[in-house]
Amino acid sequence: MLQVNHLCTSFFTDKGEVRAVDDVSLEVPAGKIVGIVGESGCGKSMTARSVMGLVRAPGKIKSGEILLDGRDIVRLSEHERCAIRGSEISMIFQEPMTSLNPVVRVGHQVEEALLLHEHVKKQEAEARAVEIFEAVGIPDAKKRLRSYPHQLSGGLRQRVLIAMAMICRPKLLIADEPTTALDVTVEAQILRLMKKLCGSGTSILLISHNLGVIAQVCDYVYVMYAGRIVEQADTFTLFDNPCHPYTKGLLDSVSSLRSGAQVLDTIPGVVPNLLHLPAGCSFSMRCGCCMEKCADLLPELHETEPGHRVRCHLFDKEEPA
Amino acid sequence: MVRNILSRLLQAVCVLLGVALLIFIMLRIVPGNPIATLMGEHADRAVIERMTAELGLDQPILRQFIRYLADALRGDFGTSYSLGKPVAALMGAAFGNTLKLAVLAALFAWILGITSGVIAAVRKNGLLDHLFMGASLLGVSMPVFMVAMLLQYVFAYHLHWLPIAGVSSWKGFILPAVALGWNSAGSVARLVRSTLLEILEEDYIDTARAKGRGQLGVLVLHALRNAMLPVITMMAVQFSSLLSGAVITESVFSINGIGRLAVQGISGRDIPLLQGTVLFSTLVVILGNFLADCLYSVLDPRVRKEG
Ligand SMILES: Nc1ncnc2c1ncn2[C@@H]1O[C@H](COP(=O)(O)OP(=O)(O)OP(=O)(O)O)[C@@H](O)[C@H]1O
Ligand SMILES: [Mg+2]
Repeated sequence: MLQVNHLCTSFFTDKGEVRAVDDVSLEVPAGKIVGIVGESGCGKSMTARSVMGLVRAPGKIKSGEILLDGRDIVRLSEHERCAIRGSEISMIFQEPMTSLNPVVRVGHQVEEALLLHEHVKKQEAEARAVEIFEAVGIPDAKKRLRSYPHQLSGGLRQRVLIAMAMICRPKLLIADEPTTALDVTVEAQILRLMKKLCGSGTSILLISHNLGVIAQVCDYVYVMYAGRIVEQADTFTLFDNPCHPYTKGLLDSVSSLRSGAQVLDTIPGVVPNLLHLPAGCSFSMRCGCCMEKCADLLPELHETEPGHRVRCHLFDKEEPA
Repeated sequence: MVRNILSRLLQAVCVLLGVALLIFIMLRIVPGNPIATLMGEHADRAVIERMTAELGLDQPILRQFIRYLADALRGDFGTSYSLGKPVAALMGAAFGNTLKLAVLAALFAWILGITSGVIAAVRKNGLLDHLFMGASLLGVSMPVFMVAMLLQYVFAYHLHWLPIAGVSSWKGFILPAVALGWNSAGSVARLVRSTLLEILEEDYIDTARAKGRGQLGVLVLHALRNAMLPVITMMAVQFSSLLSGAVITESVFSINGIGRLAVQGISGRDIPLLQGTVLFSTLVVILGNFLADCLYSVLDPRVRKEG
């Protein structure tokens, strides 16, 4: 369905090149929910934007291919991309408060994609909008179509954005932290909605820094750190048998939250500046099991068991001499 | 909404009254008797005094003011000392020219300003951007009389394309309109560019693009509509200042408009004429601001109060 191979997206700033996405390969099979998890600034949103073709200057896709049903969409013209955006792939952005046009009624904004791609009549578009509003749990759907964004709460706006992304029944939905702005009950509803959507044939790439959310809905998970994938596995394996020290750290900080520990178990240190990454493993400065070679030699993504890959020297296979 | 408008209207009336009173007082406390100026150096003292009394200029200022207001409400702004005609009639005749000039200047300024601002924003840091922004810098920094005289020199004196002054035909309005609109075009272009650039950074622009809107669609349907909010406010204020009398432009191109009447009023110490023109300008500016507010609230749902 979606296959990303060796994607590199960089920002070319005055201070140098910021490798926001560095050699990322991932796959979203049809009808599955795939998660990307990682700390703030690790490049999750940039990965998503690269897939959408919406990286803003000075950012640029440097290399790699993005295959949608086997077709490389990086090389498409802007015009061809527009035809895909919103109809075949759509995206829910991270910020519900600012992602809606303040001077256009939400109904119109939701219908826009439909009118654009399917050339339906205004009346039919409106009917479909009501339908989708009800599906995402917006009460008083008909009346709400006529609201302006500032009249809606954050939760409602996020649902409007979700409705907007889903109205053309895209093959792939990229959801960038769709529930971060919402309270837990609404979050649960939205996640249920995503599962339902997935059941009806849409593949979803779900981005989150919340492992709980990932655990609830994803089939397969990629863990990102400083622009690179450091571990990937199906959800059960990842939570059952995390290999990368970073993943372990993430899981520990969640479980210490669960158990109500007084002192929160956090990963020591901060995310490194993407301008000055070490030559080797970018997690090496914070890693508890850092070895000598870690700082200088970038580990490969090793397959430790089928479908489970880790980028860490702890799992280097002994080279047969 | 209606309540909002009414309260604004009330404010406007108060401002107008205040300004009227201020002008009234200022014109009367400046030293020198206007009647003496009018009659010349060798006039008889007795005659001057009789005239002053006849015109009511010896009465207390407040009483004069109230009488003036009462007359003004009936459309009577007094009789011009220097031209000997009713001020209302003089202004009525001049208003046509001023209106035509202002409308043409505004159209010129806005069409040029908006298009070049949009192009500059879309081609940020490109050749056209630098070109337009350079030109607009000239636009905002060149004084009107200089633009006017340059235009006269090039298009009238040198090329003979357009008349150098006077408005006997519509052609006569072109140069003054360009001269008058030049400044406004520059400031509109700069405002359009900066607002548009800011708005193109907004998250909802990404949302629109993610829906599959092309560049043009995003620009027109999502960005421009938001970018126009501050621009429209600026345009309404600009228009009222264009309309309130282009003193310099009308003088340079000898157009009989409100601005020139005001000049006449000043040089002739013609109190009724000056009073009338200044009051008119105040009214126009207040109306312009009022209109800008109304427009803004129609265009921006966040300001509009529902229900
Ligand atoms: N305009 C820019 N110029 C330079 N670097 C940028 C720019 N925009 C983003 N970046 C870099 O790209 C990196 C990845 O950003 P991204 O938005 O993908 O993070 P994220 O994983 O989505 O984080 P969050 O959880 O906060 O949304 C950031 O660390 C930042 O340094
Ligand atoms: Mg993000």
